[in-house]
Amino acid sequence: MLSIKNLHASVEGKQILNGLSLEIKAGEVHAIMGPNGSGKSTLSQVLAGNEAFEVTEGEVLMDGTNLLDKATEVRAQEGLFLAFQYPVEIPGVSNMQFLHTSVNALRKHRGEPELNAAEFIKLARETSKQVDLDPSFLKRGVNEGFSGGEKKRNEIMQALLLQPRLAILDETDSGLDIDALKVVSDGVNALRSADRAILMITHYQRLLNYIVPDFVHVLSEGKIIKSGGRELALELEERGYGWLGIKDDAETAS
Amino acid sequence: MKSVPMLSSAFLAPAGQSLPQPLLELRQQRGTALVDMPLPTRKTENWKYSSRYLQLTDAIAASLPVSDRIDTPLAKVPGYQVVIRNGVMVPSASTLPAVEGVTISRFADLSDEVASSLAERLDNTLDANAVQLARLNTARFEDGLYIRLAPEAVLDQPLFIIYETDASQSGSAYPRLYVEAGHHSQATIVEEFLSTGSEAALVNAVSEFTLADSAQITNVRLSADGESVQHIGATGARLQGHARFESHCVGFGGPLRRHDLQVRLEKPGAECLLNGAVVTQGRQHYDNHTTIEHIAPHCNSEENYRNIAAGQSHAIFRGRIHIHRDAQKSNGHMNNKNLLLSSGAEIDTKPELEIYADDVKCAHGATIGQLDEESLFYLVARGIPRREAQTLLTMAFINELIQQIPVAAVRDASLPRLNQFIDQTFEEA
Repeated sequence: MLSIKNLHASVEGKQILNGLSLEIKAGEVHAIMGPNGSGKSTLSQVLAGNEAFEVTEGEVLMDGTNLLDKATEVRAQEGLFLAFQYPVEIPGVSNMQFLHTSVNALRKHRGEPELNAAEFIKLARETSKQVDLDPSFLKRGVNEGFSGGEKKRNEIMQALLLQPRLAILDETDSGLDIDALKVVSDGVNALRSADRAILMITHYQRLLNYIVPDFVHVLSEGKIIKSGGRELALELEERGYGWLGIKDDAETAS
Repeated sequence: MKSVPMLSSAFLAPAGQSLPQPLLELRQQRGTALVDMPLPTRKTENWKYSSRYLQLTDAIAASLPVSDRIDTPLAKVPGYQVVIRNGVMVPSASTLPAVEGVTISRFADLSDEVASSLAERLDNTLDANAVQLARLNTARFEDGLYIRLAPEAVLDQPLFIIYETDASQSGSAYPRLYVEAGHHSQATIVEEFLSTGSEAALVNAVSEFTLADSAQITNVRLSADGESVQHIGATGARLQGHARFESHCVGFGGPLRRHDLQVRLEKPGAECLLNGAVVTQGRQHYDNHTTIEHIAPHCNSEENYRNIAAGQSHAIFRGRIHIHRDAQKSNGHMNNKNLLLSSGAEIDTKPELEIYADDVKCAHGATIGQLDEESLFYLVARGIPRREAQTLLTMAFINELIQQIPVAAVRDASLPRLNQFIDQTFEEA
């Protein structure tokens, strides 16, 4: 489904990704782990189409077509979803208006009839219950005044609503207490299916106790330096990144 | 040395329409005073950004013809309605309230006695030095609307005053409104300015409000004249004790849009809320000047204005709060936020506080910014096309003020219009 070959990317002139390659097939759940500054978030931003990041070499194919040539909105319409590490607050645009517009943009792209307000509200209410969000949040501004946990639940709620082909979760576990982590994990596990792939990006392996990956990759200095099964994550937890020859500057970076 | 431009004598032609004698005399008097009136120039402080857009040509000096004809069927409004066409009321298109204590009359129908008392009060809410051109309205009005709310009278539904200007030929119109609100009376008055036709025209509109003790007036002003119309408007309000005046202005740009809003808090407990939202695109120009005079102690004022400028357009906000020496315990809060949608657009903002009392709370803030790229990316990453996302964010910027308009019909009518206007500005990008 997703094929990343020799990807190089930079931001503000600084090279972050240095030849990253990765193959993800439908039905698989992959986890990318690595210390801060290894390029985890850059990868997610590049895949989603953030123009602040420049791809200097390599290619990314999604379902056989060149992903990097496509506008951000087209990537989303074709089924790529990024759960943001830091969801943005947008006062003045209600969650309802935002999500309704988004759902209809995707439906329109697929040639399906758009949902009217009543149909959408019904769908949104059902979905919000899945991640334990009070449906009244729909009336509030996008992420406005949300706690860290609410923001992450809202991201997963959006994934459930948009039913992507490929869901990328960027540090979805950060800032969550154990109850919220369970709710979010249940949401993500509900997304697992044979025709969908999930790519989790995380610093800690805690999340992987709840969402069990098929493959684990270690990212360092913009490249994948080791891949394995779920046992690799456990080994990382036990031994840290040091045994792989990686300096983990996580404690010093913000 | 270049001579100072003067108001053309073509603007001072005698009245065509029959007004009651006292009002004719007032017109005459104002007209005489305007002979040799110097027009504002770049050097006139309160016109420095707008004087060059002011085109008071002889062709525009002619009064637009009075007519009962309504070309465009106006949408049925939920409430009472008065249609003013080219400055003159059209009774056949108006639905007046039959509410006890509420009297709505056109100037032309006033008795000499009432007209005489009105003539003494017209222009008294406005500072003639600051709004010289409002005097031109008094020198030229052909008709006007006089609304009296008896003490404790409550107008149960909003009154919509639709000012329609027919610019199918060149000329000018001088709509005039005078509202006298008795103590404890309440009314919501929506003024909407529209035009048809595409010839160069001028609308010079003046609205005045006097609020007795504890009166409450909400005034919504929608400025949506066409591209060939220069609009100069002035609104004045004087408030007695515990009276409340709320003004909500929504403005679409044009070749010249100028609105002066002057509020005087004259007795303790008076308060006002002044909100304004302006959108400009292309080469449009919009200039808002507001003044709040805190004359008595214990008065409150709040003001929020937001401008959105796209293309090569220019939006201006000048807000002045003047706290007089005796106005202790005044609360004044002014906020002006601006959004620039293109590198060619210009926004000028000038908040001014002038404080002569020592025990007051007064604050102002002004910001100018652009659309937030991070917010934009978040929306686009959810499949929302870029242009739609830009429109959503821009609408969010003024929606906060639109939502404060206490008339649902105005909100419902304004939002799609603003949305369409804003969406157009992203067409080229």
